[in-house]
Amino acid sequence: MLTPLWLTLKIALLATLMAGVVGIALGWWMSQRRFAGKNLIDALLMLPMVLPPTVLGYYLIVVIGRNGVLGQYLDRWFGINLMFTWQGAVIAASLVSLPLIYKAARAAFEDVDGRFLHAARTLGAGEFETFVRVTLPLAVRGITAGLMLAFARAMGEFGATLMIAGNLPGKTQTLSIAIYDAVQAGNDAQALWLTLVISVVCVVVLVVSGRMLQAKH
Amino acid sequence: MTTILELRVQAQLESPGRSFLLDASFNSTTQRTALVGASGSGKSTVLMAIAGLLPQARGYVRVAGKVLLDTAHSVDLPARERGVGLVFQDYALFPHMTVEQNLAFGICRLGKRPNEAERGRIDALIRQFDLEALRGAWPRHLSGGQRQRVALARALAPQPHFLLLDEPLSALDAQLRVRLRHELAEMLERVQVPALLVTHDLSDVEALAQSVIHLDKGRVVDSAITESATPT
Amino acid sequence: MTTSSSRWLGKFTLLAALSISSATLHAQEVVVSAAASLTNAFQAVGQAFEKSRPGTKVTFNFAASGPLLAQIQQGAPVDVFASADQETMDRAAKANLLAEGTRADFARNTLVLIVPSTATAVPQKLSDLGNAQYKRVSTGTPSSVPVGRYTMASVQEAGLTATLEPKWIYGESVRQVLNYVARGEVDAGFVYRTDALIEKDKTRIALTVPTTTPVSYPIAQIASSKNAALGKDFIAFVRSDAGQQILDSFGFSKP
Repeated sequence: MLTPLWLTLKIALLATLMAGVVGIALGWWMSQRRFAGKNLIDALLMLPMVLPPTVLGYYLIVVIGRNGVLGQYLDRWFGINLMFTWQGAVIAASLVSLPLIYKAARAAFEDVDGRFLHAARTLGAGEFETFVRVTLPLAVRGITAGLMLAFARAMGEFGATLMIAGNLPGKTQTLSIAIYDAVQAGNDAQALWLTLVISVVCVVVLVVSGRMLQAKH
Repeated sequence: MTTILELRVQAQLESPGRSFLLDASFNSTTQRTALVGASGSGKSTVLMAIAGLLPQARGYVRVAGKVLLDTAHSVDLPARERGVGLVFQDYALFPHMTVEQNLAFGICRLGKRPNEAERGRIDALIRQFDLEALRGAWPRHLSGGQRQRVALARALAPQPHFLLLDEPLSALDAQLRVRLRHELAEMLERVQVPALLVTHDLSDVEALAQSVIHLDKGRVVDSAITESATPT
Repeated sequence: MTTSSSRWLGKFTLLAALSISSATLHAQEVVVSAAASLTNAFQAVGQAFEKSRPGTKVTFNFAASGPLLAQIQQGAPVDVFASADQETMDRAAKANLLAEGTRADFARNTLVLIVPSTATAVPQKLSDLGNAQYKRVSTGTPSSVPVGRYTMASVQEAGLTATLEPKWIYGESVRQVLNYVARGEVDAGFVYRTDALIEKDKTRIALTVPTTTPVSYPIAQIASSKNAALGKDFIAFVRSDAGQQILDSFGFSKP
């Protein structure tokens, strides 16, 4: 009864992790430099959040489908096919989460007063040490809030996930897809139960992340 | 008299709608020097150049016998190697660290716990600046005067050869300023580290410095040794 | 009222009257929910129907039979329902959704096993699907798509349920199954012969699969329909010689 829940949590957790690493790194990089084309890169990074999920799903198929730009090599050289797998679902979910984390991380880093970084440097800290001891702790609240929103978003990912991972009960049938499936089959009781489960989880995520956003310093 | 501070710096600063050219040259032979000028004259920029926080700086900076910048010979020490302490105008105490942790920042590097000797240095600083009761306090709970003491102690923690102070009293109200001017003068005398002090308040110059440099629109327009000069 | 504002009122009334009358003109519209496998054939039937009755408009809604039933249950304004198996229509009848005495069978189809045209391995018999080279086999989701149910029944009949269990890739409709095979995302798929004919270039039929029940398509009027007369006409057209000829040209057989 609850397999879709565990599957959803697993996929959402991994997707948030992947998108987190990339999003935080990009957020840091973009917060530090000013260069031509910065706005364009920013727009590209926010694109997965704005594009319709089916468009995203289609692009993913073009790239990682069995005959896709990358997919054909994955299949030929490694025998790996990401379509209809939970790993494919993780990729779809991380793509839609990335903009949320990137945006939150970049804003959090930009909010760190440059004078603290100057102080750290005059006190003998190198760039990495300054990042770890000063920048990161001051940005961590904003970043964490971004991560939690990304997690909630990854949990609810439907359109692109359905196109890439399909609807395979026990393997790729996430909560959202299970609800869709139940509605399609006319199974209202199942649909209602699953909807309640995911609603509760989402509310919890939002309440906790809301608390984290309350400034303390 | 030996030269304590020798500076010939040019820097071009661009910001949207504004272009500022710093072209300052001066020497100082006194232990404590004041740098005065109207706002926008480039005083803080000079401090940044000495501290190694101004990547656009070109020229020559020698402080307490150590060459920090020498563009002609490709010398440009990064801030962390310059041995110059900086006290910011609003102190810039790390908000996520206690007073003790702020002080320890300049003494212990990443991931290392302070050893015996380092513990000793931290404790000495705390005693010297009368911060025993505030060891575990958070910067946001401190008064202006307390923050100033912590900022000074923190800047001195890594035992710098030279000290830079950016308007150290301007963040305080008038009454406090008078009292703390005395305290600051005493502390600087005690600590015996040569210093360059930026201020727009002439009372500061009188109480704290032995010579003064005037800056206007990025250039030095006047310099003088004040009456309370002490030859070194 | 001044002359200019009365002129405005006059214009407005005329405009309103025109739009109301044009609405009544297009009241000759019938909404048909039909199984995905009927997409191409019914679109042709619809065009022929509109031509034979000028001023009418047929609006189609194609999807798997299960979801279509769910929509009707939720109150979708459908006039005619055509499903790909009797079971879905039975469910509709049980839910009292059908107009009395309007249900009739109008076509038959065949279940086939197809592979991508680029496939190197082509199954000679159903049990070949158990071989390692067939890693992914697709059919419709059995709970809501008729082709999935026909497939599962046939697979069970052949004793291959356990063998194929880990290989299934379910599609939301028979057309999605067809798409998966055409794109080479799966190694083989179960669709209707009429669907295989649509993707002649990208797929090839490996074998015809015997089904435990005939693949029989029923059609019926929905009880809550507001266009009963036109709905009745449409069903009659589908069952007429003209309609049957069109269905035949797409590969359907007589009911």
